[in-house]
This record gives sequence, C-alpha cells and structure tokens, in this order.
Amino acid sequence: MSEKLFAYLRDNGSWGLRNNVLVLPLHSALASTARTIADTSDGAVAISHDWSGEIDSDLRRILFTLSGYASNPNNYAVVFLIIGNAEEKSIIDGAQALGLKNFTVLSLPEIGSLEKLQSDALVVANKYVAEAKSQKRIEAPWSAIVLGLECGGSDALSGITANPALGVASDRLVELGATSVLGETTEILGAEHLLAARAIDPEVGKRIVAMVSRYEASINYEGIDIRGAQPSRGNIEGGLSTLEEKSLGAAKKAGNAPLTGVLEFGEKPLTPGLYFMDTPGHDIEQLAGFGAGHINVVVFTSGRGTPTGSAIMPTIKVSTNTPMYSAIPDLIDLDAGTIADGLETLAQVGDRIFAEIIEVANGKLTKAERGGHHEFALSRMYKTVISEY
Amino acid sequence: MSSAIKGFAHGNRGNGIRNHQLILPSVICSTHVSRRIATEIDAVTFAHQHGCAIIGDDVAGIDNFFIQLADHPNVNSALVIGLGCETIQGQELAAKLLERNESTQYRIIQESGGVEGTVEAGVKAARELNTSFVPVSAEITTLRVGIDNGRQFPGISTLKGLLEAAGHTVIISDSPFSSAESFSRLAQEKAHIVISFPSETQPPSGFPLFPVINVASSSILHQAIRADFDIAESQIDAEITALIESVANGTHTIAEKNKSGEIRAPRVVRSV
Repeated sequence: MSEKLFAYLRDNGSWGLRNNVLVLPLHSALASTARTIADTSDGAVAISHDWSGEIDSDLRRILFTLSGYASNPNNYAVVFLIIGNAEEKSIIDGAQALGLKNFTVLSLPEIGSLEKLQSDALVVANKYVAEAKSQKRIEAPWSAIVLGLECGGSDALSGITANPALGVASDRLVELGATSVLGETTEILGAEHLLAARAIDPEVGKRIVAMVSRYEASINYEGIDIRGAQPSRGNIEGGLSTLEEKSLGAAKKAGNAPLTGVLEFGEKPLTPGLYFMDTPGHDIEQLAGFGAGHINVVVFTSGRGTPTGSAIMPTIKVSTNTPMYSAIPDLIDLDAGTIADGLETLAQVGDRIFAEIIEVANGKLTKAERGGHHEFALSRMYKTVISEY
Repeated sequence: MSSAIKGFAHGNRGNGIRNHQLILPSVICSTHVSRRIATEIDAVTFAHQHGCAIIGDDVAGIDNFFIQLADHPNVNSALVIGLGCETIQGQELAAKLLERNESTQYRIIQESGGVEGTVEAGVKAARELNTSFVPVSAEITTLRVGIDNGRQFPGISTLKGLLEAAGHTVIISDSPFSSAESFSRLAQEKAHIVISFPSETQPPSGFPLFPVINVASSSILHQAIRADFDIAESQIDAEITALIESVANGTHTIAEKNKSGEIRAPRVVRSV
C-alpha cells in the first residue's frame, strides 16, 4: 500500500483526485443531449436534472448546487450547455468564483439546433479529455483529501461494523491533516448533542444543535413527526428500531475527532478538520451536496446495498454485513461484516478502509465508477418552510 | 372527421398511438439499471429523483404518479425496477399496477444479484413481456390531444375548435413556467399526443410516453432554433390536423427523435 498521495493540483491551490470532463446541461431540455455527448465521447461524464429554469423559492439552492458541482476540483474542465438566460450566467459566474478555470459555454440559440449543439460539444469535450489525459498527478499533501461520509439503507449492523470502522479511517485522515465531512441531518437527529460536545468551540456546538432543530422544525411544520417517519421501512426490515438508534450508529462514521465546523448544504469547508454538512438523508441529493461542497472522495456504508455513485466523486461502498456483500458483489467495494463475524477487528477494517481511500484517491476506480453510475438529484425544499437560524 | 388512426389495443390501458414498453424505476437508485435495460431492448424509461426519503403527501403522490404513467394508453407493458429498501417498494408498486394490467413485471436489484444480475434478469423479463403481450392493432377515431399552453397562445380556442371538429378530445394545461410540469399533468390525463407552446424563453422539450409537437413562436430563442420545432404558429390553422394524423400514425416528432424527456414529478415536501 502506498501511503503517498498523488493528485491533480488546480490553479487555486485545491486538489483533484480525478480529472473529469463534465458536460453540464443547465436546462432539463438539454439533459438528453448532454448524456449522448458523454456516452459518445472519449471519456467525458454528464449529469441529468429536472430544472427547467424555474424561478421559485428553490432557485438560490439550485444555482448554488450547480455552481459548486461544476467547480469541484475533481473536474478538469466543464462544458456548459445553455439556452441563454440570466440564471445560467449566474451559475457559471458562481462556478468561476469558486475556482473553475477551464470551461466552455455552448449556447443552443447561438449554435442553432440540438443536433449541432451535440456535435460541437462533442468536439470540445474530446479536446478537454485529451488535455486531461496528458496532465500528470503530482505528490500531494494529506490536506488534498476532502472525504465525504455517507450511509444509506442502514441496518442493525451499521452502527457496529461499517460506520465505526469508517470512523477509524476518518479520524486517521483528520489527524494527518485531511478534511472529513459528515452529512445527512436526518441521520444525526437524536445524536447531535454528542457531536456538539466534540465541537472545537461552543459556537460550533450551538450551530450544529440549531441546524438539527431547524431541520426538525421544517418537517414538523408539515405536520409530520420525523421521529415517526424514520427509521425507514428498509431500515426496520434491516433490524433498526428507532431513529435514535439509527442516528447513534450513523454518527459513528465521524469517529471521535473534534468537530471543526458546520456547513450549509453545498458549502465548501475552508480549512482541514471534521465538519458536519446539512444535507438530506436522500442518498443522491446528499451526494449532490457533497459534490457542490468540493468533496473529492466519498465512503458510503450500506446495510441493504446500493448501486449509486457520482459523476464526479469516486464513491467507495462498504457493506455492514457479509451476506449482502456476497449477494450483490458488483456494488460493494469493501466488506465490514467481518467484524460481526469475529474475523477482523474494528481497527483492522478501519485500516482497510483507510488504505482503500488512499488507493482510490490515487486513481483506483471504484465499482460505481466502473459501472458508470452517475446519478444526480437536485435538492429542493418544495413547499417546505425553512427558517434561518 | 379525419380518417381513423392505426393504433394499438393495450387492454385496460386503452388504445394507444405508440407501442411503448416502459421500464419504470421505482426509485432514483434504479434509474441507471432501468436505462441499461431500456437501451438493450429499445424500450422507454426516464430518470427521476424520487421514490425514497419522501414523506407526507408525497408518498401517495409519487406512488400515484408512477401508477398513472404505467397505466398510460401508449404503454404496452411495464417492467418495474426497484432497489429493495426504498419508500416506494418496487414489488408493491408492481402489485398495484397488476390490478389494472396483466402486462406488468418487476425485478429488484438487492434480490437479483446487483447491477449486472438485474440488467440480465430485467432484459429477460422485458423480452418475456413482449412475447406474452403482443399488441393487437386498433383503429382510433378519437385522440386525447393535450395542449401545453405555456405561453398563453392567443389562437388556443380556434385550435381547440379545429381539433374537436376533427373528432378529438382536447385537454388544456396552462403551465406558469415550464413544459415539464404540464407534460406530467397531461400524462396523468392520458393524453395520447401533446401540442406544446413553450414560453418564449423556453426551449422545445418532450416526454417519454407520448409524442410532443413543439410549436415555435416568433421569439428570438425560438427563431434561433427553429429547426428543433415541428411547426410554427402561423402554420397551425392550415397544417395541425394533418400533422397530428401523421404523428399519430407513427411519424416521429423532433423531440421523439432527440429522445428528449426529463420528467418532473409532482412534489410538495422536501426529501428527508
């Protein structure tokens, strides 16, 4: 195992663990064109979304998400497909402000037809892919790693095997000077006091508690008791009894490191350390928030198993139990079920996860990357009311 | 009255003008597998971001939306692809669809050996559906024509009169901004075909289940991409009935050729 990191240095000093060429449609009507461009290119990636330029209460969140996603340091370059409105310009300006340097904007009305947009964009994307392939990784400091911690389809073993083992790896990385970000507000409800107690100062502690109450209030506003709606049906079938049980297990992904700060959805951490980001438990909206927040590698623990990945961030899947790992081998990179079976200790699995993060950071492809899983979802509030805190 | 249209008898779904096999992901996590199956057998599918981490009215809302899509007259058979731990459970959705239509099947990723296993099992199930439910041709005299009136087209009542004189039923959706929401509404209203008048600043778009005829306005955007529209406003009165007949009989619209169609599902509450 190499304990050295090799990554792509960006002009603004941030580090990419991948050198993606992202084809990003800024209108849903351009999504199928973007997909075709990526599918026929020499290795570009694309995402689809369902935003058609609607100007409503979710606009700010959507613009922020797309600006952040485009400027993620894992992207070597971005090909924006636009229809030519002010909101699209604001997304591109936002991405530049966040550090995006290499990009081309292709406007449908300037080009004249979808067919020509597709062929023009393919030429641009392939030119970027060729450039990206010629760029070399260089030795990088530990701070180059910005790790995202996620879980989905949790079961009764999540809090005993995969999550605490991931916590071991996360602690080690934070200790070395990397950044680690825990997401999914739903998943820490009832465990926020434990994270607050680890805050580097009382202000950060207050913020995480306020962030969780804000979330709970937004759901209660709808007349729904979130503690009744969670754990989900899949979680219950997996053996989880209460939301608190799920949360106490989920928070273990963040190990025992001090909590450096709290981030809004899609906000990027500015210094190394452990952070919490306010994202929904919805796996793909949550991954979009991580992408927008410039996270460059994700570890995703699962009890039930999930195929999902990201177009821009390598996503390492860790199973909480061996039967699931054996049943769906093409979805899961590592098995932590060995802890429950007494075959390995938490520390040993933590070491394996740590080693896998380094290998993946250095270029090893995850199973989701090999399978071409590029799921994406915009996070919206819809009619949910959310107050500032 | 125009001449009868040659369509397909789709059992309880009614008679359709397309013979679509629908690969329906019950959750975003199964959209990629669904697309791989659809590509392999030339079926229709769509990406969406729903089916899990939804609460309140959205649970029944999204469930019902998927049921309506699978029960559309242009659909011959539906194969539901689930993950296994989602809110809208694939096999439960399939059971509800089966109550209306025999030509329904489902496969679950967590129970079918993962991605490759499910793609293989899904392709096999979809082929079996195709063999078991061969569509019978049917003559359609009355089309359900949806109108997406995104830009408040002034000639709308004349158009409605023309279509009704040709024997069709007209369903109008006045969308405040984008066509995507109108299309979802019109799909639930079982429109066979849709005439779309996108707002002057919106591009033409489509929907996976029905052909969309996009009508260009004289706006700068629409004139710049005139080639992506099927017809101009000025041609409507003289040509729309013939165009509808041709499309209903199988001619692909431009949106169909481009395989455009990102669906927008009705949602009320944030994801949890």
